[in-house]
Amino acid sequence: MFPPIQDIYRIAPELVACLFGMLIMVADPFVPRERKGAMGRLGLAGALGALVAVELMSRHAGAAMNGLLVVDSFSVFLHMIIYGAASLVVLASYDYLERENLQQGEFYALLFFATCGMGIMASATELMTVFVGLEISSIASYILACYRRAALKSHESAMKYFLLGSFATAFFLYGVAMVYGATGTTSLVAIRAAAAHATDHHMLLTLGFGMLFVGMAFKIAAAPFQVWTPDVYEGAPTPVTALLASGPKAAAFAVLLRIVFTAFGDASSTWFWIVWISAALTMVVGNFAAVAQSNVKRMLAYSSIAHAGYLLVAVAAAGAAGEESAAGIAAVLFYLVAYALMKVGAFTIVSHLGGSGEQRLEIDDYAGLSTRQPTTAACLALYLLSLLGLPLTAGFLGKVYIFQAALDAKLIWLVVIMAVTTVVGAFYYLRVIWVMYFREAQQDWTPAPVAPGVAAVMFLTAAGILALFFFPGPLMTFAAHSALSLR
Amino acid sequence: MANEGYLLSVVTFLPLLGSLGLLALRGDDHTWIRRLALATALANFVLSLLLLHGFAAGTPGYQLEELRPWIHWPPINYHLGVDGLSLWLVILTTFLTPIAILCSWESIGHRVKEFFLMLLVLETGMIGVFLSLDLILFFVFWEVMLVPMYFLIGIWGHERRIYAAIKFVLYTMAGSVLMLVAILWLFGLSGASVPGGTFDLPTIQVLLQNGKLQLPHTTELLLFGAFFLAFAIKVPLFPLHTWLPDAHVEAPTAGSVILAGVLLKMGTYGLLRFCLPLFPAASKELAPWVAVLAMIGIVYGALVSMVQPDLKKLIAYSSVSHLGFVVLGIFSFHPVAIQGAIYQMLNHGISTGALFLIAGMLYDRRHTHLIKEFGGLATPMPALSAFFLFVCLSSLGLPMLNGFVGEFLILLGTYQVNKLWATFGALGVILAAVYLLWAYQRVAFGEVTVEKNRVLPDCSPRERLILWPLCVMILWMGIGSPVFLSRTETASQQVIEQMKRPQMPALAGTRGAVPQLRDAPAGAESATAVQQGAGPK
Amino acid sequence: MVPSSYYLVLSAVLFGLGVVAFVFKRNIITIFMSIELMLNAVNLAFVTFSQHLGKLNGQVFVFFVIVVAAAEAAVGLAIIILIAKHRQSLNVERVDLLKL
Repeated sequence: MFPPIQDIYRIAPELVACLFGMLIMVADPFVPRERKGAMGRLGLAGALGALVAVELMSRHAGAAMNGLLVVDSFSVFLHMIIYGAASLVVLASYDYLERENLQQGEFYALLFFATCGMGIMASATELMTVFVGLEISSIASYILACYRRAALKSHESAMKYFLLGSFATAFFLYGVAMVYGATGTTSLVAIRAAAAHATDHHMLLTLGFGMLFVGMAFKIAAAPFQVWTPDVYEGAPTPVTALLASGPKAAAFAVLLRIVFTAFGDASSTWFWIVWISAALTMVVGNFAAVAQSNVKRMLAYSSIAHAGYLLVAVAAAGAAGEESAAGIAAVLFYLVAYALMKVGAFTIVSHLGGSGEQRLEIDDYAGLSTRQPTTAACLALYLLSLLGLPLTAGFLGKVYIFQAALDAKLIWLVVIMAVTTVVGAFYYLRVIWVMYFREAQQDWTPAPVAPGVAAVMFLTAAGILALFFFPGPLMTFAAHSALSLR
Repeated sequence: MANEGYLLSVVTFLPLLGSLGLLALRGDDHTWIRRLALATALANFVLSLLLLHGFAAGTPGYQLEELRPWIHWPPINYHLGVDGLSLWLVILTTFLTPIAILCSWESIGHRVKEFFLMLLVLETGMIGVFLSLDLILFFVFWEVMLVPMYFLIGIWGHERRIYAAIKFVLYTMAGSVLMLVAILWLFGLSGASVPGGTFDLPTIQVLLQNGKLQLPHTTELLLFGAFFLAFAIKVPLFPLHTWLPDAHVEAPTAGSVILAGVLLKMGTYGLLRFCLPLFPAASKELAPWVAVLAMIGIVYGALVSMVQPDLKKLIAYSSVSHLGFVVLGIFSFHPVAIQGAIYQMLNHGISTGALFLIAGMLYDRRHTHLIKEFGGLATPMPALSAFFLFVCLSSLGLPMLNGFVGEFLILLGTYQVNKLWATFGALGVILAAVYLLWAYQRVAFGEVTVEKNRVLPDCSPRERLILWPLCVMILWMGIGSPVFLSRTETASQQVIEQMKRPQMPALAGTRGAVPQLRDAPAGAESATAVQQGAGPK
Repeated sequence: MVPSSYYLVLSAVLFGLGVVAFVFKRNIITIFMSIELMLNAVNLAFVTFSQHLGKLNGQVFVFFVIVVAAAEAAVGLAIIILIAKHRQSLNVERVDLLKL
């Protein structure tokens, strides 16, 4: 009954994450209060260990656990994003937890459990496994969102995330039930085979896909299911926001891509227009709503909605391209990496500048930052310019790949909407930059010196963003390779 | 295509290297910051003169090329090259940058290090735009330039600097995003004849010229529209010009000089480098519309200049008028007129740059740009007034000075194509004389009306050092024009050459005459819609 | 023998009621219960399909759903208790620090 050793390797990152999570929980009561810093080091060790385990996993490609999971280059790619982002968040939260006087041990444990769930989603090839991974990551994230127990905003964020998240999960499950009813299976490959024959269940299958899409659209914050995003991102502790903006989004896109290309790969006409409309709506809603925000976290939340729209453009492009879908999928993957770097970096700086109790979150609070902490200001400017998609940053190449995939698929209107909304994006990204650089500071407030963990995140993300522009070759090759493994 | 040395890369990236050097200096060490910046810019100017040595006049095509693979997929190459069109524009850039640095020597008091850093980064961006032969590389430089310019206006500008900076960026981005889409579209189309597609400009030109790559009519119009919009905003052409006065008035003097001297040329350079050679049919079809916009720009810019109370705004609107003239020359598709347009781009860079410098010098003394605050300046400051007069005369096209040569060539070429266009061009020249001389009269002649003006100091040695080279160039380009024209002549003929498309009935037959007929009216309609859609903005 | 379509219709109605209650109810506990209703509608659908297809795995899925729903309820109720303690109210409209 015990799974073969190969299967253990194939879930190695998840095992490492879970083990460290449990280890931290068990060790936490035995560590005296003044030495809680050790938890952070243990957390970092766990994150790096999980990254090593990803490498181990990548050497054992193939299906695991009776076909519930698969290790292919696609899942390895996603694991890299998810565990990489989690490691950066561990680095960033070290200083935050101490400043906010929060329990350190549990935080890292929950972070590992959430990451483990995302990892399962990334390699799942069966809908119930997706559901289990989704819930493992969601339940841990609900608690993480609530982690600042003294702050009312944090409760509110957790409550909204919990209620809307469960609501979306119910939709996802109902979709699973319908697909199961129509095809008699929940394995993605088997669904594809069954769908080819079962023409009389077409209606049920389409409805099922619609429900699945609703569930995933919640997770990736795609319109019209994006309403929770700004509230949850604003209220959650900022390092958690950094995780929520990068990890679950990547995992949910992984699931979406697997569902549409593995299970519904032959039926792109059923889902193409759903994705198309959602992409257009998401870009418009995200970009226009972001213009009106005065809170940095809310602004970044709307910007992440907008980016979900750009990513959906690439998904739609891959769907419209038929046999040539690899370019679009590769564009999604490349953009996910760039996006995770930008968002984790930006939220880390927001968390650093927020100060004790997260009080300085208005854009106006950043006035004169360029003279007080030039490096921090420069890094934040770099992330914002990358989110905007200016050259010399990974965001530019990401946009180029998406544009190119969409043009090849002849989605002219989607491209035009994307181009126009990108220009709208200039308004709100540049506004932060002008506040930092063009305005003199009004109050006599100096941000705290940059903590080593935050500095490390800033350095790694900024270097990554620049490196991906100048040397995108290896990553793009990997992404293209991963895209091929989807069919 | 072999790599012919590293000169172009060195010229492009030396300023960037200098700006890295600036980073190493202490922030309050203003003297050495200025010296290092100036030394870098001067060294780059000298290096760029080496281009003249390596450049063979009369040889068509790109020279001193450098081609290195950069990104494998999509295939983006690091491809630089120079021809008669870009040669002088690069030298103009390296010539104006030291002058911009010198004129900011004292007037920039805070965040000195960042200022010169931005200026040098900007220089790299500008030279890169002129030298790139890969479409994506071109776009990268084109967009990178935005960032330092945004900061130059936003940090060191005048009262409404933030408004002006954001307006500048939004206008430019709106155009350039569509251009990026068009570049990628063109790339996709080139995939039909080159496996995998190509962003390489010379390759695409060759494919278009020998008919291996044919653009359907509607596609060509749309592509032309996207490129044209980006360049028209930069030029700026009439309805899209509203960012320019704001940006000019609010920018610091160095920013205005660079903006007027080089950045505006990128629009006209883009038209000559991309729009005409890549999309000749669309260019020819829409030329009358473009010409109408250019003529409106000429007259409108001149009339607004005439009634401007603000000296800097007056110069800014005169740019709208002058560049309308250049666009008119370009869209006459006559080699002589194009030759004149290239020449006029250089003239405008030098003359208008000098005008902005003089306006900046007046501003340093009185902290105002209002013409009515001046008057009778010839008495307290004869030397500056003399410089001012000389530059005004150059800008309005007095024979023997540089402006005359360019305007004459444009008129000569345009007249042979369309007499009405030439008439409007001539009207622009006459109006330029009116507003420039009138402005000069109000500033320099008459009684000294404001008491403070009586004691204003005349040119300092540094200011003379700035203005003399410009005046020498103005005179030299007026009487020694063959030196310059001999090197641009081939390029302007080549633009016409590149616009030719093979007449291959066999190929046209496969595309089908009927769909072509069906395509044409729809395409014309949509492209006109693009133009008109851009209009009311 | 009741045809399976009846069960499916019942399941759809329950799910629909859950959605409607989620949208219109104002008490957090009631909203939470409406989610449970939706999950149970899904369970019913799973069992029905499992019966209809003659496969057992649909019924196994139901256990998954029940277990996960229990875990979710534990966390969710904790969050709701926290809210109730701090605000002395369970009305969602009072929970409005973050503008929607």
